[in-house]
Amino acid sequence: MNLKLAPEADLPVSAPSREAEYALIQRIVHGEKELFYQLVRPYERRVYVMAFAILRNEADAQDAAQDALFKAFKHLAQFRSEARFSTWLIQVTLNEARMRLRKNHLEIMRPIDEVEQEDGSYTPRDFTDWREIPSEALERKQVREMLVKALASLTEKYREVFVLRDVQHMSTEEAAEVLGISAGAVKTRLLRARLMLRDFLAPGLDGAWATQSNSPKGIKPWS
Amino acid sequence: MVLKCEDIWREVSNYIDGDVDPQLKVAMEQHIAGCQKCRAVLAGSRNVVQIYGDDRAFRLPADFYPQLHRKLEDRVQGPGRRAGSAWILAVAAAILLAASVWVVKVHERPALEAHHTLSPEMAEKLKTLVVVTGDSKYFHLAGCPYIHGQTRTMFADEALREGLKPCDKCLKDLAEQLTSGGPNPDQDVASKDPAMDIDVD
Repeated sequence: MNLKLAPEADLPVSAPSREAEYALIQRIVHGEKELFYQLVRPYERRVYVMAFAILRNEADAQDAAQDALFKAFKHLAQFRSEARFSTWLIQVTLNEARMRLRKNHLEIMRPIDEVEQEDGSYTPRDFTDWREIPSEALERKQVREMLVKALASLTEKYREVFVLRDVQHMSTEEAAEVLGISAGAVKTRLLRARLMLRDFLAPGLDGAWATQSNSPKGIKPWS
Repeated sequence: MVLKCEDIWREVSNYIDGDVDPQLKVAMEQHIAGCQKCRAVLAGSRNVVQIYGDDRAFRLPADFYPQLHRKLEDRVQGPGRRAGSAWILAVAAAILLAASVWVVKVHERPALEAHHTLSPEMAEKLKTLVVVTGDSKYFHLAGCPYIHGQTRTMFADEALREGLKPCDKCLKDLAEQLTSGGPNPDQDVASKDPAMDIDVD
């Protein structure tokens, strides 16, 4: 088999319709193995990002993404058409990343200031006025590193919900299905995750980042 | 409805997602309009959603796709890939051999039909009837469990010329036929009758 790898492989590839995708899965299950690449191509980036958001390490995320895709291939016959393939694939990836996390004992270092409450109450600690996101800021490595660092500051349960909802763009119901929790719990955790991330990022992302200014306005998390 | 800041903070995430009832929405907006702290919380939370939702927030390692595809190819195709290559080589060799024999024989005896000039054994092997399903790129031997849906039949050499490949299960059977002289007794090799009885789902 010859995989065609364009240099611009990072560009998004649109997923086929749900029906077309299911038909493709049936052909793979019935022996046309090489079609698997076609099936997963639109989701490869999402699989990596999911693994990276959980593991916070490029090398581990790369390995986890590879293993997750291979596991998806091996267990493709177990996929049921009631779910979206992308949801199922992300679930497989999440499980793979969680397994590696446990194995590496990465969760031993739990973030501080974590109050285990599920009632949704959270008091913001910072009221820096962070209004505008200059889109070019994301081109800066230090900003991207801060996003990763902020995400890593969340405990697993908040990080998982946030990544599924706001990075993977899943619906509340899909995220609930992947995590095996109620839609209400997804909403509660998402609220806290968003507010905690805002608290972490806002002091440094109050506008100074757009100009790379050395202005001491707010505390720069990367300083 | 009069709301306190705590009420806003509790609902700000649902508000961003458009998941609050209209009455609450109006009350929240009234409060936020007059509260700098809540404006900051709302704007910052929106920014969090926007910035992490941007594809550029997470860059892939430079070697991600090549490495992923190489690993997947190794693991997904596995032994089948090697068997496939061996089979294709075997068939290609058989076709080349057959073609050579045909060219030589035609020059010697141009009046003869092509497959009269092949060894009867080789002609028989290349004339195994195979089944193609739908617009698949694969062909199957009769009785292969992966035959499903719309089918058409053709000879193996024709299928190869069309760029089709055998399915993994059929690879070994066909390879055996081509290399060991004769069909696998476990495989129900098709007769040349196109109306053969094919097990179709």
